[in-house]
Amino acid sequence: MRKVLLLSPEEPPYTLWAEALRNHAYQVEIFSTIEEAGERILFNLPDLLVVSESLQPELARDLIFALKYDLSLASLPILLVIRPEKLPEMDWKEYFVDDFICEGASREEVLSRVELAFVRAERLADNNPLTGLPGNTSILRKIEEIIKSDEEWAVGYVDLDNFKPFNDAYGFSRGDEVIRMLARILVHLVDLYAGPKGFVGHIGGDDFVFIVPLEVAEKISQELIRKFDELILNFVDPEDRERGCLITTDRQGVLCRMAWPSVSVALVPIWKERFHHYGEVAAVAAQLKHYVKKIPGSTYLIDRRKEERRNFGID
Amino acid sequence: MIDDKRREIKKKLRGLQGLPTLPPIVAKLTQMIGDETVSAPQIAAVIERDQVLTSKVLRLVNSAFYGFPRRISTVSNAIVLLGLNVIRTLVLTASIFEMMQSRDIGLWEHSLGVAMVSGVLARELRLENPEEVATAGLLHDLGKVVERASLFEDYTRIQKIVQDQKISWREAEKEILHMDHAEIGGYLLNRWNLPERLIDPVSWHHEVSGAKKFPVETAVVQMADLLVRARGFGYGGDPWVPEPEDLVLERVPLDRSRLEKLWPELEGRFYELRFFIQEMREALSA
Repeated sequence: MRKVLLLSPEEPPYTLWAEALRNHAYQVEIFSTIEEAGERILFNLPDLLVVSESLQPELARDLIFALKYDLSLASLPILLVIRPEKLPEMDWKEYFVDDFICEGASREEVLSRVELAFVRAERLADNNPLTGLPGNTSILRKIEEIIKSDEEWAVGYVDLDNFKPFNDAYGFSRGDEVIRMLARILVHLVDLYAGPKGFVGHIGGDDFVFIVPLEVAEKISQELIRKFDELILNFVDPEDRERGCLITTDRQGVLCRMAWPSVSVALVPIWKERFHHYGEVAAVAAQLKHYVKKIPGSTYLIDRRKEERRNFGID
Repeated sequence: MIDDKRREIKKKLRGLQGLPTLPPIVAKLTQMIGDETVSAPQIAAVIERDQVLTSKVLRLVNSAFYGFPRRISTVSNAIVLLGLNVIRTLVLTASIFEMMQSRDIGLWEHSLGVAMVSGVLARELRLENPEEVATAGLLHDLGKVVERASLFEDYTRIQKIVQDQKISWREAEKEILHMDHAEIGGYLLNRWNLPERLIDPVSWHHEVSGAKKFPVETAVVQMADLLVRARGFGYGGDPWVPEPEDLVLERVPLDRSRLEKLWPELEGRFYELRFFIQEMREALSA
């Protein structure tokens, strides 16, 4: 059953809306303070949130912003309830909501809006189901966008070394935890250093891409490596940690010692006119990957052929 | 054995919605979060001084939704995984104790002291992760916060018999609740999917033989608890300093001379913590 959380006064029309939704097999709860609702949302995520703007306007906006800005929560549909006379002054760029409902709306309208919100959420299917991050279509679109930009960017290709033996030793579900951990560290570092300019996509498996302004790319790579190497220890069994390696079988079925996963980053700087399409970026990344993979442990490598290429371009 | 009181308490614990904390800590964090020049590590440093917020952050990151059950045991790692926006929401919506007096801060002060001493002892004994042991120390008396917040009637009765009969808080708890704060805290941390590395020391800090997986860490927390009580820092519910268990002396092989050498460092750290506590006290009485 889908859970709808109403953040509104506990009085009509909201109680009537709740009743109508319940009659259509939604599970509905009303919270009339943001404090109560916030804790509920974080610890017991609803499937849809309806927020009455007039309840605590400032706090409502902050809460919506915080939720929508978080990658793992951004897919939670949020509907804002406002007074019709406020419509002309609404700046929708300030409110990260999916739709709005006017205060005087009928029960039928509310029901339709809620159903539509769910249908719409399902249509946005590019996202990776494990991490919730944008997939290949969005990554491609984003790279095409920045190769035409006037600013300098870096595209970082991230993947794990020794991920397969880790999966073999501990099973897929722990492997998935590690992928999610990597995704989360990456997302938060990109957010921290690049803010809204940054982008993180999940190609699939243990392959990720991040896109940030060039000047923060190395810092993010260094921090990613540091944090990953620290956190991965929480996913290695104590015996193996003490021993310093995993014991698993190699492709020939022979028992062998393997290091636990480390992270590799290949950074491709991008400036205007350097590349003309997506494939060229991927080709440079593949060359870098070839080198970075030869270095044991977590490392990053940046393509420094910048000046050379520029001169070449002038010739 | 059927024990209605225990059953009643466990039922209450299962229904527990969220623990309130000290109003000044939430106020301070709210202000920090609104300030763009404040960094994530600075925010982590304040959250790490509050047992309730620390338990919330760890509960969240170890929840099924975030996908790291029983893995993450420190606030700084939790923040990297959750991101500042989630932390912001958590703080923005944190509930606070409505009626809080300056003397109630004693328990926070005690817990902070135990966290600090646990961390220092863990480092001295070269344990693998001192930060984690400090977190266990911070959370060791979470059960007492639960008593204050959700079992208030029993809490006042415990308070009264501690005073009248001159017995320890834990003995009084056993009389009134048929269980103690260590069990309450451990029970909750377990329900919240926190790592065993934290649950063991919280559950067994008064009976270290019960700690099967993390015996040394658990002994460190008991030792820290005693040292903080002996030093006279904060208030753990009663004024007594119990004897260490024999097992603790065995597992924490710090003799008098080694402790004496450590003491100046500990005193310096107590002094720093007192500033923070003083700030909280003043904010409360203002």
